Amino acid sequence: MDAWRGFTHGNWNDAIDVRNFINLNYTPYEGDASFLSGATERTKQVYAEVEELLKQEREKGVVDIDVDNVASILSFAPGYVDKDKDIIVGLQTDKPLKRAVNPFAGIRNASQACEAYGYKMSDRVWEQFKFRTTHNDGVFHVYSKEMRAARHAGVITGLPDAYARGRIIGDYRRIALYGMDRLIAEKQRDRELLQSKVMTEEHIRLIEELYKQLDFMERLKKMAAQYGYDISRPAENAQEAVQWLYFGYLGAIKEQNGAANSIGRISTFLDIYFERDIREGVLDETGAQEIIDDFIIKLRLVRHLRTPDYNDIFAGDPTWVTMSESGMSEDGRPMVTRNAYRVLNTLYNLGSSAEPNITVLWSERLPEPYKRFCAKVSIDTDSIQYENDDLMRPLYGDDYAIACCVSAMKVGKQMQFFGARCNLAKVLLMALNGGRDEISGEQVGPKGEAFDEGVLDYDKVMDAFKKYCSWMAELYVNTMNIIHYMHDKYAYERLMMSLHDTDVERLMAFGVSGFSVLADSLSAIKYAKVKAVKDERGIISDFVTEGDFPKYGNDDDRVDDIAKWIVEYFYSELSKHETYRGAVTTLSILTITSNVMYGRKTGSTPDGRKKGEPFAPGANPMHGRDVSGALASLNSVAKLRYTCCRDGISNTFSVTPEVLGRCEDDRVSRLVDMLDGYFVQDAHHLNVNVLNRQKLIDAMNDPNLYPNLTIRVSGYAVNFNKLSKQQQQEVINRTFHASI
Amino acid sequence: MRKLTARIHSFESFATLDGPGTRYAIFFQGCPYRCAYCHNPDTQVFAGGKEYTVDEIVAKAVRFKPYFRSGGGVTLSGGEPLAQAEYIAALEAKLREKGIGCAIDTSGAVPLGSNVRAAIDGSEMLILDIKMPDDERYRRHIGGSIDTALATLDYAVKTGKRLWLRTVIVPGINDSEAAIDEYVSLLKDRLCGVEKYELLAFHTLGFEKYAKAGIVNPLEHTEALDKETLARLQRYLDNAVEQIAAARK
Repeated sequence: MDAWRGFTHGNWNDAIDVRNFINLNYTPYEGDASFLSGATERTKQVYAEVEELLKQEREKGVVDIDVDNVASILSFAPGYVDKDKDIIVGLQTDKPLKRAVNPFAGIRNASQACEAYGYKMSDRVWEQFKFRTTHNDGVFHVYSKEMRAARHAGVITGLPDAYARGRIIGDYRRIALYGMDRLIAEKQRDRELLQSKVMTEEHIRLIEELYKQLDFMERLKKMAAQYGYDISRPAENAQEAVQWLYFGYLGAIKEQNGAANSIGRISTFLDIYFERDIREGVLDETGAQEIIDDFIIKLRLVRHLRTPDYNDIFAGDPTWVTMSESGMSEDGRPMVTRNAYRVLNTLYNLGSSAEPNITVLWSERLPEPYKRFCAKVSIDTDSIQYENDDLMRPLYGDDYAIACCVSAMKVGKQMQFFGARCNLAKVLLMALNGGRDEISGEQVGPKGEAFDEGVLDYDKVMDAFKKYCSWMAELYVNTMNIIHYMHDKYAYERLMMSLHDTDVERLMAFGVSGFSVLADSLSAIKYAKVKAVKDERGIISDFVTEGDFPKYGNDDDRVDDIAKWIVEYFYSELSKHETYRGAVTTLSILTITSNVMYGRKTGSTPDGRKKGEPFAPGANPMHGRDVSGALASLNSVAKLRYTCCRDGISNTFSVTPEVLGRCEDDRVSRLVDMLDGYFVQDAHHLNVNVLNRQKLIDAMNDPNLYPNLTIRVSGYAVNFNKLSKQQQQEVINRTFHASI
Repeated sequence: MRKLTARIHSFESFATLDGPGTRYAIFFQGCPYRCAYCHNPDTQVFAGGKEYTVDEIVAKAVRFKPYFRSGGGVTLSGGEPLAQAEYIAALEAKLREKGIGCAIDTSGAVPLGSNVRAAIDGSEMLILDIKMPDDERYRRHIGGSIDTALATLDYAVKTGKRLWLRTVIVPGINDSEAAIDEYVSLLKDRLCGVEKYELLAFHTLGFEKYAKAGIVNPLEHTEALDKETLARLQRYLDNAVEQIAAARK
């Protein structure tokens, strides 16, 4: 059968160009949600089996761990949820929710993860890695004393130096459209071309990487063959297109356990196959929804084995199977298709869920019925996030996707070197203390003049802060260069990178935490009277603040200008330094859930926050300080410039249902107003929760009350019950915009 | 020329219940009434609040214009906004220049002088609180006469102003079908221009404010109205309003 029958031809026939295929062939859908189908009996039965397993997992932490086989594409026999009923097949191991050991990034981490759940990694695995350098080994062979000290003090932490970096999106759609053999042939051609060039270090490295890519492309074909599929050829119908694409993703996450392995922008692409099947009369709406439901079930089962330390920074066992959808095409057509609705509809058919991390690329010009359906789904499930397509499209075109929470990249054409974040609130304290860590008392940064006790002078503080920011930026870039050199060397993403152009553009994504604490602290020093207080070690460890000061989150330019300056300044400092492989420097304000951990490692700050107290997440105003209403809070965040924060500006927003309106129709309208009003001001991201604080308190006290309670935390959603008590408390303390 | 200022109690940037669409609500300080069930007693006295010029308020309000996409705008509430009517008319004119319309959320507590008429004329709509069904109960529970409220209503109807009515239902005072009948018979000739007549539930969330402001709470032993009663009375009212409309056709 001709796999490309009925498709409009174009450049995609001659070159690997999925974007061109989508643009020539997709059908925008501007209607409402009334066409959607509910879950079939089969779907309900299969999901009941899954829910039983999820219950076991909630009770035990993990369902099972395979401690004998190292994770890779071919290390496990085929697994099924229900072999007779699965429509889309494939699991990471031979059983659903059974986790695999992946020691490539760091073997100690893998072993500790087993122990955390009462398992023991087998001697066989230790033996296999005895003479092998892991990514973690490589990094620590090279780290300087200063890097270790900064890492230990918590000024830069969460770095992917002991776990895999993730945040790379393979273009899994290529497998469905072209089949593996065509992709392999293209890569072979790239390799031959490179082999004819001068053998510089760069070319040699790339040729070796192509060898690794090709090796894993062959293995992927074998993996699919174990399930009875031949993916050397292109997909011929909708079910195959989903299956082919999923095999690619599955192979990638069998190989890699990076923090966030996102699946890309797929619903519009797949819709082309669904539309063709429907046109040919071989698929109806019930069948189409059933395929999507089964696919989403598989994505809800993605698991990696993590350590308790890891849960500190990425709480709730997230996998960031981020699935981006909609947005506008560059020629001005909405990229909303029926499939975009079907994906959202899984939150009704299967119930709300943290994964996949459904990300709506929002444009003011999206069709109104779709906007309203998204808002309704947010109100009902708290499971989706929004990112501003009108802001990203000019920079990334119309075939980018979000990795993790807020990181945009052109699918198959750009990859990212993920860099966690540095703690800018702590940098301020170090600047006041001449480079000493206010908690341990150790000299972490360069020795400088410490401030005296008494009232802090804003200009002097700014001078010192800038000096230490420059130091931080340089150290941070150097540390990242080491990490990603070693990751490429010892834990290269063979399959994911095989689904990128060989000549890939690299982004190096830095991050900041303690953002709103820093903005408010500088505002306090500028507009109120802040007295520094030293302790017996001679370290400034407390502050006495007299008078009021403007706080970030109230649409007040006096402090919002400081907030804007912080990111602009730090970004310009980072940009001064050379990056590994010529990567483009980017910056995010995103903490995931590490805002709790970073707060724990940071002393009292001039804004009135006490030692150890959590920071606000991402770019959020500090809890309870945004007192001028929901929209004033949004307006403050909207002022931050995306052009210097191209890796994303995360804002998590909670509002009670009552404040949105009295009836569903009003609530939906108000939420659409809010999203449009926020994004039209060039804001970047919004997590929306519509719920009452009391519900969370009840869930914290009795987890059985709402076993599936999903809540957006910071660029992703979690099952609330999977958070630690401290993290739950922090979420509860966040501002809930309620009525008076 | 003296600079026109108003005393403002507070602002709410995401008011979703006081008018159509998303609203920026400005709560004016001071009210001539002393409703027994007032839920913002801290806005009653004229001496409180903070003074703002028209330009200062305009600068704040325009920040929220992006959210007004589906018929939203500014709501002037209080307190009693029409007690500062001269200011309101000036504010409305300035906001209109910026493409922002105003709704006035009023109790009709102020006699219909030229300033009040100008303020109403300059608004996009009126949200009028009809507190009690007769003058005797206005004097008893509200501390004023019904006449100014009815005059305000009549003026709005006569000038074709877009109009919403509201009545707060308080347990023990007007939470019965019989009370609703009284409102309907009071208003029936004036309902032709009314777009929506909404009943609101008395709630106890404002009680704290009495203690804080050191004001005696006349209803401190009254409980909040339950949702079911509110829904029942609203249905009863809607039905009565529909019958009037049908009879007129």
